[in-house]
Amino acid sequence: MKLSTTLKALGLAAAVALAPLAAPAQAAGTVTVAIALDPGSWDPIDTFVVDWSSAANNIFDGLTARGADMKLKPGLATSWEFLDNNSRIRFKLRENVKFHNGEPFNAEAVKFTFDRLLGPEGKKGPQQSNYNSIDRVEVVDASTVDFVMKQPDPVLLTKLAGYGAMIVPPKYIQEKGDDYFNTHPVGTGPFKFVSYEPKVSLTLEAFPEHWGGAPKLDKLVFRMIAEANTQIAELQAGRIDIATLIPFGLAPTVEKDPKLSLISITGPTVVALRLNTQNGITKDVNVRKALIMGIDRDAIIKAVLLGHGKPIASFQADLSFGYDPNLKPLPFDLAKAKQMLQQAGVQPGAPIKIDFRGNDATFREVAQAAAGFLQALGLKPSLQPYETPVLLNDIIPNGKTGEAWHNAWGGWTFDYDNTAYLMYHSGEKWNPYDKDPKLDAMLEKQRSIYDVKEREKILQEIARYVADNALEIPLYNQNTIYGVNKRLKNFEPPADRRFRFTDVTVE
Amino acid sequence: MAGFILKRLLQAIFVILAVTLIVSFAIRLSGDPAVMLAGGSNITEKDLQNIRQALGLERPFYVQYLSFLKGLLVGDFGRSFMGGTPVSLLISKALPATLLLAFVSLLISIALSVPLGVYAAVKRGRWPDQLIRILSLIGLSFPNFWLAIMMVLFFSISLGLLPPSGMEGPESFVMPALTMGIILTATNVRLVRTSMLETLSQQYIMVARSKGLKDRVVLYKHALRNSAIPLVTYVGLQFGSLIGGIVIVERVFNWPGMGTLAFDAISARDYPVLQGAITVLALFIVLINLLVDIAYGLIDPRIRTE
Repeated sequence: MKLSTTLKALGLAAAVALAPLAAPAQAAGTVTVAIALDPGSWDPIDTFVVDWSSAANNIFDGLTARGADMKLKPGLATSWEFLDNNSRIRFKLRENVKFHNGEPFNAEAVKFTFDRLLGPEGKKGPQQSNYNSIDRVEVVDASTVDFVMKQPDPVLLTKLAGYGAMIVPPKYIQEKGDDYFNTHPVGTGPFKFVSYEPKVSLTLEAFPEHWGGAPKLDKLVFRMIAEANTQIAELQAGRIDIATLIPFGLAPTVEKDPKLSLISITGPTVVALRLNTQNGITKDVNVRKALIMGIDRDAIIKAVLLGHGKPIASFQADLSFGYDPNLKPLPFDLAKAKQMLQQAGVQPGAPIKIDFRGNDATFREVAQAAAGFLQALGLKPSLQPYETPVLLNDIIPNGKTGEAWHNAWGGWTFDYDNTAYLMYHSGEKWNPYDKDPKLDAMLEKQRSIYDVKEREKILQEIARYVADNALEIPLYNQNTIYGVNKRLKNFEPPADRRFRFTDVTVE
Repeated sequence: MAGFILKRLLQAIFVILAVTLIVSFAIRLSGDPAVMLAGGSNITEKDLQNIRQALGLERPFYVQYLSFLKGLLVGDFGRSFMGGTPVSLLISKALPATLLLAFVSLLISIALSVPLGVYAAVKRGRWPDQLIRILSLIGLSFPNFWLAIMMVLFFSISLGLLPPSGMEGPESFVMPALTMGIILTATNVRLVRTSMLETLSQQYIMVARSKGLKDRVVLYKHALRNSAIPLVTYVGLQFGSLIGGIVIVERVFNWPGMGTLAFDAISARDYPVLQGAITVLALFIVLINLLVDIAYGLIDPRIRTE
């Protein structure tokens, strides 16, 4: 009795003492976003991390831009045309644009940005290789630049909307140096840098002179939180407005909270089981087709992804350029699949090994479900988890996989070329087994074509060809999910997490 | 005494060298950081070579290790592969955060375990003693991350009293320090109880009692002082292991300390950051052990001649 009274008194005292401390940290007009990783540098040429874009897409502008709907639109360039038989692209630049430090944006800044990216400074980072098709940038006049191309690159315009191609201020970088720029970024974007605490947070404030109009928020804070549970707890506590790291299994927690909404939209990531076409039972194309028909993808999406995804027929999302809505995956048909296996002479109990990334908790469940279906087909599936770098750098490139292996891919350019070339062209790292001259020819051909319609046709042919040859078991396109505080208005969630908070307001 | 300290110092240096060697070697087995940095898409072998060259990864292991040691001598841990921040800067921000958390956790554990342990010893065999022992067993059995998550659910989500993560003010300390503190308390209660029981059975306690001194005086003035010696020693050593055990708790609470730093470095194969973080942690643990050893040597001359 006495003890419980004491405890109650203590609890009350603690509650009273702590209550003022728990006041909401959000000021009016501030949006706080949790990202998982600290990229360590805000220099566009230093990184490929999506979390960099989530934040830095608000600091910098590219020549082109992409809206939340993933459609390409003008950025710092207002228009562009292809000259000299496509070997030269001429960009008309937006005028009266200023960097956050007051420096003017002009053709010199564009040239400086790409000289830096393609020169020794860019060599140290991971971005240079994305822009190797550019030979050099020439200044025509203060508001016109020419990109002289080494080789055709139909995906270039998309690439200019992100990462390494973000335009940086020449005078600022020359005066302050690269190190300073890493931690004090300056761009032409809607928000300007205020402070950066490594591994903790990045704070930005509105840049009212932005060419697209002043942002409606005062402040933007990005907090680095690597643990999904912690992001969700912070979201529930009202201390962050957007959580970007929500495993499918935890989505219901966010859905149930009346203050929050769960946003689930088509994302860039696709998942498949690639097949070994040289050894084992998967050497036979009919066996490969039987495997595709023997796995119920809809059931996996419903049970493991809790519905946050959709089946795919080729290794791309429907946001991807080259997606063919008419291409349908082989239907789930256990009886037919069994019959096909029998016809192909596959013995009951034939082994089939699936290699996968062991740290991917969602896929572990997917693999178990897939193994269940394969077992129902009369096969003897086994699962082999690997440490991701080992799988990606040793097992796959050296052709040491089992009959099937886990392939997850999220091309940031939303162009099937980026995926298809690396997956199916002979000699590529991701293609240890196939050498198909016909497929190679199609992949090479589309790279030299700027005609959008024609290129799209070839990409669709490639997807169809891959499906006909059953090079993989296409599984699903997983959704990008966000947990968002309902006080956010006008928030258009981008599929690729590269936010732009120009129009967002808070209640 | 000088010879004793010198010998211990040499041993400490050897331990540090061994730790840095093992860490530097082991992390290089974990995969190619160039591939991690390149992001795995659209990348050629030549690009990877460029990145390796820029990071100095093409040199033989012993050259890389020696250059790491050379930097160490002047306090230069190199630069993070992720964005090029100097490792010393990252450590200088993370180390105080971790030390502070460890220190507060220790204080909590002492404040809880001493009175509980003494009380259990005094009530030996009776229900309060049983209860305290059962509670400490439960405390020992909790995985710290589970305790951490439960606290967040209760204090932050249900009650809305405390911030679920981050290091923003005094209120940020409550949950992480309590998590660490409760786990430590569970061990320390048993230590205090045992040590107190032993002291209470000593003759001088009986003498004090027979002189008619009050129970409280006997307990706190005579018994506790003497049973504190093993506790103080143990807590000194605990401080070292505490820093090691803090990794998971830091991750759950997104505490910007050494645990978070090391964890992220492992995921990103950021060799310099991991090497730096582990070296500094090892340095701390060795230093504390060294101080404990020296203190022993000072207190008890028999240990020196061992």
